[in-house]
Amino acid sequence: MALLHKLQNGIHFPKLCGIQDAAQCFLLGSVFTGYPSRLYSSIKKTEAASGTSSPEGKTHGGLEKQTKGEVGVDLISPKEKIEINFDKAIRAEIKDHFKVLMKELVGRWIGPEGRPLHEILLENTRVMWQFRSNEDLDKWLVTSDRTIGGRSKAFLKMASNNQSALFYGILNTEPPHDGETQRSGYCAMTSRIPRGAFERKKCYDWSNFNTLYLRVRGDGRPWMVNIKTDTNLIHKSHHLYSYFMYTRGGPYWQEVKIPFSKFFFSNKGRIQDDQHPFLTDQISSVGFTLADKVNGPFYLEIDFIGVFHDPTHTEEFAYEDSKKICGNL
Amino acid sequence: MSPYVTTILTLSLFIGTCLTIFSEHWFTAWMGLEINTLAIIPTTPKNPRATEAATKYFLTQSTASMVMMFAIIYNAWSTNQWTLMQLSDNWASIAMTLALAIKLGLAPFHFWVPEVTQGIPLLTGMILLTWQKLAPTAILFQIAPHLNMKILIMLAILSTLVGGWGGLNQTHLRKILAYSSIAHMGWMIIIVQINPTLTILSLTIYIMATLTMFLTLNLSNVTKIKSLGGLWNKSATTTIIILLTLLSLGGLPPLTGFMPKWLILQELINNNNIMTATLMALSALLNLFFYMRLIYASSLTMFPSTNNSKMQWYDNPTQITMLIPTTTVISSLLLPLTPLFITLS
Repeated sequence: MALLHKLQNGIHFPKLCGIQDAAQCFLLGSVFTGYPSRLYSSIKKTEAASGTSSPEGKTHGGLEKQTKGEVGVDLISPKEKIEINFDKAIRAEIKDHFKVLMKELVGRWIGPEGRPLHEILLENTRVMWQFRSNEDLDKWLVTSDRTIGGRSKAFLKMASNNQSALFYGILNTEPPHDGETQRSGYCAMTSRIPRGAFERKKCYDWSNFNTLYLRVRGDGRPWMVNIKTDTNLIHKSHHLYSYFMYTRGGPYWQEVKIPFSKFFFSNKGRIQDDQHPFLTDQISSVGFTLADKVNGPFYLEIDFIGVFHDPTHTEEFAYEDSKKICGNL
Repeated sequence: MSPYVTTILTLSLFIGTCLTIFSEHWFTAWMGLEINTLAIIPTTPKNPRATEAATKYFLTQSTASMVMMFAIIYNAWSTNQWTLMQLSDNWASIAMTLALAIKLGLAPFHFWVPEVTQGIPLLTGMILLTWQKLAPTAILFQIAPHLNMKILIMLAILSTLVGGWGGLNQTHLRKILAYSSIAHMGWMIIIVQINPTLTILSLTIYIMATLTMFLTLNLSNVTKIKSLGGLWNKSATTTIIILLTLLSLGGLPPLTGFMPKWLILQELINNNNIMTATLMALSALLNLFFYMRLIYASSLTMFPSTNNSKMQWYDNPTQITMLIPTTTVISSLLLPLTPLFITLS
């Protein structure tokens, strides 16, 4: 994809804001929107006309040599030329992908999911997500009805002492004035789908577990916990498995355990008559949604999200899925 | 499912395979394979994983049938022959080999086998990995003289290696048996042109052992290694049966499973295929490794578990285990009959 968009070697842009102009360019837009960090990493500043750069910077031309005593990227004078090297960016990206692929291949020799088999067979608990740094926040996406023109606001940040994450905002149920949307008012945070080499979608294998464990502290509002399974097939992209989480509010942490058998199936937001349990070895993401039709601020503090095997829980599925008993199915 | 529907589907499966085995014309053989494919699809239950498995199975088998029909018509166009044994055109023979490789799940066309086997119930998986192999193998047996040896060797070695390596990281038993099937198909394919009777012998013993495994696992509805670890509590004899059957599948003497591997290696060496024989023998060790892992989990070690219930094997069993003793004896105690099989071949 990057090769198709490469026009020539060493494309030059006179200004930093030229990147935004290029992003609007129909040929280069998709490259820039996907690779801003790569471009910044391969930016080579050319010497200013006054020739104040050191001889070392001239001969090596690497960013490392030129970073000493220089201003940051966002303070570059508009008169200076910025050289953006697509080749370098693409090569760096491909190298990273191959490194991940090598890691996956080597991990396969160790065992499933890159861990020894006895570990997988013997484990009864696993912490999937915990919030201890900003990097943990990057694994989550925050959405709200702003995408459809609503007025809710949602934010995610690290809470006090970097021991938990705080998802907060303001819910606004006023529908957008577009003439067709009648209801609005939701905020959600969803985990990113795990990716392998070359951005292949991967999924979590939770077949050794049967319960979701959440350590949260809410404001008394009812939340919905959503699980999405494999989204490769277009028919399954709107499938969702949900269950409710009623937060208590107050200063004490709440430990919520939701067995997998309790999650009900919905498609495009509508609960289906034909219910079935979700496939525990094809989990792609977990999310929290607030849509309780109450205007006002909200917050949800999350310590960690894990899964465990509860041997006392023997229920296979909580909802009726037999056509003989329920004739509507 | 209604007993009438089950009867019709079972009869269709039986008739389809018999039609293919007994037919002389390519069209009737192809028809039998199609009947087989369509008869097994309604036996899958109506949950998303089974629906996906059935869809994948249908698509792969249809693709194989399409390639097969192309080979048949191309052969008829170039040689004016519709008989099964007259597949003399080179390109038709290659296309037919590839079509049968897809049908049998040989590498590199093996990707559907673990996914489909994992998605369907144990008994349907048993039919898929045993009965559904009969018809394509019968066709291979009949067209063996016209097959390209290089392609067969490549398919065979790739299958045994993929079957061995692919099964190493699995924790689901159905997927393990699927990879075992891929590897065993490799053993059958390597010898089909040199001594086709050994292919039939190998298939028969493989079917017996796989039948034993599936029926035994179905008794306690065990589908994962973790649940296999708790089987000693429910039924200790089942663990012994699993031990014997898996060692037989691994090809260890003095069990029956050693017989086809031994005869195949002997035949390969007699035909100066020493490197191939070495590779096949080494790749069998990969399979043996994960069989031993299952044996360790089920019978040789006390697997850690959270089961604190009473010893369930004290209770009288309520399920019928009619076939299991017979298939266990066949799959583990027939090695002394090897001279008989050599004579017959």
